[in-house]
Amino acid sequence: MSRMFKSPWLEVNIMLAVLIISYIGIYLIGQGLETPPGGMSGTTIFAWLFGFFFLSFAIALVAVIGGIGGGVLFTPFMLAFTSVDSLIVRATGLIVAMFSGLVSTGPFMRGGLANLKICIFCAAAYGIGAFSGAQGAIYVAKYLGATGEGLVRISLGVILFSLAVYFIVGGKKLEWPEVKKVDGFTKWLKLGQPYYEVSLGKVIDYPLTRAGLVLGAIIGVGMLSGFFGLGAGWAIVPAQNLILCVPLKVAAANSGVLLGMGDCIAVWPYLLMGAIIPVFAAPWLVGQVLGGLLGALILIKVKAGFVRYLLIGFMFFACFGLLTKGLTMLGVIGKVPLWINGVVFVTIFALVIVSIVRYMKAEA
Amino acid sequence: MSVEERPVVMPRSQLVYGEIVYWVTILAAIVCMIGPVISVKNVENNVMNPHYLFAGIFEGKNAETIWQEVGHYKKVVDGVETEVAGFPGGHFYFDNFSKGDGFTQFGLALGCSVAVWALIITSFCFLKEKNPLFFVLALWVAVLVTFSMIGVV
Repeated sequence: MSRMFKSPWLEVNIMLAVLIISYIGIYLIGQGLETPPGGMSGTTIFAWLFGFFFLSFAIALVAVIGGIGGGVLFTPFMLAFTSVDSLIVRATGLIVAMFSGLVSTGPFMRGGLANLKICIFCAAAYGIGAFSGAQGAIYVAKYLGATGEGLVRISLGVILFSLAVYFIVGGKKLEWPEVKKVDGFTKWLKLGQPYYEVSLGKVIDYPLTRAGLVLGAIIGVGMLSGFFGLGAGWAIVPAQNLILCVPLKVAAANSGVLLGMGDCIAVWPYLLMGAIIPVFAAPWLVGQVLGGLLGALILIKVKAGFVRYLLIGFMFFACFGLLTKGLTMLGVIGKVPLWINGVVFVTIFALVIVSIVRYMKAEA
Repeated sequence: MSVEERPVVMPRSQLVYGEIVYWVTILAAIVCMIGPVISVKNVENNVMNPHYLFAGIFEGKNAETIWQEVGHYKKVVDGVETEVAGFPGGHFYFDNFSKGDGFTQFGLALGCSVAVWALIITSFCFLKEKNPLFFVLALWVAVLVTFSMIGVV
């Protein structure tokens, strides 16, 4: 039997078939719809739905190649360059972050790269933080109005800037952290889980430490994720790697599983207050699931380190957009003219191109 | 760190969790592909009319205003079924399953609750593996998601 009829290609093909039939259906039905006064035409509805799916799919593919979570791209861009309400964006951003994690859970669990016990242990703390963050976001939206909208954008701009710098510098990470002493609490938890390391062709069993300390860090990370609707893999990975001493690859796999599990707690306050609008959020969800699966199957072996520079460039540009939009909303500055946005875009991407050329020369 | 050359067998709990999450996520995605088709097929058969929905979103209106302006659902008031405007509640798919956005919301809810179903079943695997601590922790996380789902906290 062809591999196309075996898992995971079988489910990917089924999803692709349903997707194609669905969008052709929406297009054909949309063409025949009568547009009510003041309403949007059926073809425009199709265009939006397909556009959302396509963007989400592209974000998921690029995120797989660049090793950066989809939520980190979606939320800042939507907040910086569209007028969509920040709570709706952050709620949908959580869906994006969460489903990119959920779809990677199966393969990571099967392969043994992720450790379920560490994920459950961390989720117990992450969920509390993420839930509190989501409640905070709803509070800010209810009581701070336009000021809250501006402050959220500025805070996210500052976070995104720090994050982009962190991605450039690389941060301190240890492929194989060394554990000098295992504390009693960590030993009692028995979190370890041996896994087969393909690059070494061996089974690796790793000791862990400071499990109590990592709980505090993970609560903080959860709050950030829940409040801003960002995936927080960039913070979960170093927290596990540097505090708990989880090997880097395992920490990265755990972060996807943990986001999927923990954000199940954070996303519900948004769903229950109507900030997740079903027909708006659905194409983003589908794009993440299909893009994440296809990306993992086709593109994971593509060695395209330069994509990382491209993503960092996008992050800096989104950061500029967030800061200026936030300041405009607070009335500190006037509306930024389009040409200034253009100049900033060209400058950032000139630097990105230089970095990519340097990178490719170094690789050669 | 010890390095051994032996095949590694994943614990059943880990495999069960991974499979449930994977397949339910795919099912949720398929539901979310079909939901918008039902929405467009009969625009009146929605809680939110798609003709007006996206305009409201891109005008920067907040969720409450959008639901108030575009959302309408049936509610029993004083024993009489009346059509009211506004948000019908996060679990509105129960009463509106055949509607386009009701069915789509069901897909979202299914995906957003996947951890509960997976963790409850996984917790019993932990029990079988004689790991009572993780039996309790898995149930604790499942309870957190459940509380969040029903809006208790």
